[in-house]
Amino acid sequence: MLEYIVRRLGLMVPTAFLVTVGVFLLIHLTPGDPATVILAESYTPEAAAQIHKDLGLDRPLPQQYALYLGRLLHGDLGRSVRNKLPVTQAIGERFPATLELGIAALLWSLLIAIPMGTLAALRRGRVLDVVASGLTVAGISVPNFVVGIMLILFFGLVLRVLPVGGFTALTESVPDNLSRLVMPAIALGTFGAASNMRFTRSSMIEVLNQDYIRTARAKGAGWWRVVNRHALKNALIPVVTIVGLQVGGILEGALVTETVFSWPGVGKLAVESIFAKDFPVVQGIVLMAALSFMLANLLVDLVYAWLDPRISYS
Amino acid sequence: MRRVGILVAAVLFLGACGGAGGTGGTTNGAPKTGGTLKVAQETEINSLDPNTSGLVVEREIYYNMYDSLLGIDAKLNFVPELATRWTYTDDRTLVLTLRKDVKFQDGTDFNADAVKFNLERYMTSTDPAAARKSDLASVQSVEVQDPATAVLHLKRPDATLLAALVDRAGMILSPTAIKQLGANLAQTPTGAGSGPFEFVEWKRDDHLTLKRNANYWRKDRAGHALPYLDQLVYRPITDLNATLASLKTSDVDMARVVAGKDVDAVKADPNLVYRNTPSLGYGGFYLNRSAPPFNDPAKAKAVALAVDRAQILKNVLFNVGVVSYGPITAASWAFDPAEKIYDKPDPEKAKATATGFSFTLKTANTQDQIQIGQLIQAQLAKAGITVNLLPEDFGKLTLETRVQHQFQASLAGWSGRIDPDGNMYAFFHTGGSFNDGLYSNPQVDQLLEQGRATTDQAKRKPLYQEAQRIIVGDAAYVFTTDPATPQITSRKVQGFTLIPDGINRLAEVWKS
Repeated sequence: MLEYIVRRLGLMVPTAFLVTVGVFLLIHLTPGDPATVILAESYTPEAAAQIHKDLGLDRPLPQQYALYLGRLLHGDLGRSVRNKLPVTQAIGERFPATLELGIAALLWSLLIAIPMGTLAALRRGRVLDVVASGLTVAGISVPNFVVGIMLILFFGLVLRVLPVGGFTALTESVPDNLSRLVMPAIALGTFGAASNMRFTRSSMIEVLNQDYIRTARAKGAGWWRVVNRHALKNALIPVVTIVGLQVGGILEGALVTETVFSWPGVGKLAVESIFAKDFPVVQGIVLMAALSFMLANLLVDLVYAWLDPRISYS
Repeated sequence: MRRVGILVAAVLFLGACGGAGGTGGTTNGAPKTGGTLKVAQETEINSLDPNTSGLVVEREIYYNMYDSLLGIDAKLNFVPELATRWTYTDDRTLVLTLRKDVKFQDGTDFNADAVKFNLERYMTSTDPAAARKSDLASVQSVEVQDPATAVLHLKRPDATLLAALVDRAGMILSPTAIKQLGANLAQTPTGAGSGPFEFVEWKRDDHLTLKRNANYWRKDRAGHALPYLDQLVYRPITDLNATLASLKTSDVDMARVVAGKDVDAVKADPNLVYRNTPSLGYGGFYLNRSAPPFNDPAKAKAVALAVDRAQILKNVLFNVGVVSYGPITAASWAFDPAEKIYDKPDPEKAKATATGFSFTLKTANTQDQIQIGQLIQAQLAKAGITVNLLPEDFGKLTLETRVQHQFQASLAGWSGRIDPDGNMYAFFHTGGSFNDGLYSNPQVDQLLEQGRATTDQAKRKPLYQEAQRIIVGDAAYVFTTDPATPQITSRKVQGFTLIPDGINRLAEVWKS
């Protein structure tokens, strides 16, 4: 098992390397010049040339990449073009907010998806199932920023029960933190809730039709025990895959959700850095997103083994 | 900071409305002390050091934390701030008499040595983002005559210097704090200012907090200590819908920008106050005079004749702002209300001047800019002129327009400066740093140079008005609309005076 984990971690190195090449090329091939953005209305060709020199942008692309990679190997992601702070600090400062939002969104999606998906499977073809399926389609189809804006309109502006945006640190005030967390977490987690519900339902239906379920029932096991102990655990394996992918993809949804709710996380930082052509920060965030995606995949594989003893890694 | 561009564009084109709302302070009863004012900002700031600042949102914070040598009032007249008097003893010597009762928030004294230290820091900074050098380019040296007198010796006469000393180039910070903080000045300028509020903390992307400076030197008319508020909290909210929602739910008390489409709703909201004042900036598009088709002056004039400015203002900008007649806006002392060249669109006259040609109009790829481009396209078609629209990323647009001059026409506005020189010289003088259209007219050059070298405002005014008539007549740039400087506050906010430079000074503001 340990050997497997080490091997998988080792395989992440070339993947991460490819990611750095891709991100580096993408961001350097997009049109626009950070100097125009940094200098704005004080732009002069001389000042721009100085900035190009300071940022190393006057060097050939392969040389720029080699320098970037060299620094990266020393754990140095560079400094923000906008405010000159180390990229690690810029990301580090915002990471807790995104982590909190991500966990809340994931919890929301699972709390909705697993009970609802299970119930829909048990009541297949009945009213509850039809309603649940309808909600699923809606949840998958509506983009998270639309959900966000609807929530703001209804709970923020009409009912005025929740603040419309912003962030208070948990250490400052727990109630204020939570009240500001509710809407972005729902907006971010709704897509996941819908797709997880769909997977739970179909997987549950499949499992409930298996012979061992009939055997368990025939042996007199209680209905609840069969659903909970025999069916659900096995039905959750495909759901775990999807959830794993969602964990990696939280950052993607956070780009929009954090902007809509002025949530000071990594997603909002990414959006602002892209607009500002702050390429060191964008590179850092994409690298972090790629790594978290890979780690999430590894975790998923490990959880498989725990859920299904037939799977073993050696 | 493509956002800067979008912001400039937004301020220029979605800025605010002519019509309702005054500029004067609103006051209900005696000022109340205490409370926190929450201010929404359109973007996050980058730097708290005036030396490297390039954003409007940064100036907003500076003016409440740092003091400048000179101030301005709502009519853009210079008023005393750290300097009580400013006198040109000859056209190359500016004598500043300084206040003696000012201390920086770190407890050190403000004096002529601090002025010398700060101005020299701005003038000699080696930081690549240093942005104040050009503001002080005419200053040869700063002399400390006594602790309360600083003398600026100039390389050449410069009538625009006083306006520069109102803004960041005139902000004086504690030399002790600057030395102690080093590079941290841009992030945590604790104790560095002498202004009404002092720095507490900056949580990037979330909030920036300032608290009352208990030792602030300025008093109100009744002799009470300023400022009234205990605390200012600035929050960057980049989404205009979110800004509006935050205003409506009292999550913020003040904001500068709402979407043009929402202005009517804001005005109708009983809990909000919408104010605006003519802004210093203008909007429109450059024509590249160095290449076809606009190396032919007749074709440039035909374009200027055919554009329907009022239609742009109404259809895209929701009547927020006014029709533009040139680089000097209604906010300026040099404004000439009689100058209305190209007032109404005249496609027939345009046709008679030049027709049957086509050109490409580049715009930023934002909705309002593209809409303005589409309207211009339709308007010019009536004069037989074909416009091809090319929306581009803002960075690319700036590069191609400003640096490479690779364009035929480019839609780009200007946020405006206090002195008319700041709206004209760099744009229309031969070889000027923002002369993107490469326009050149010796007569204009001469007028702008004279305007710079003349310190008497009464004598400068006709020079700038004459230069403006030629610039507009030549269609050196096609002026379309001037924005207005807006401000939206909760009805609880009192004592607020809106100044056309769009920066909110909050020392005298209080909450009821």
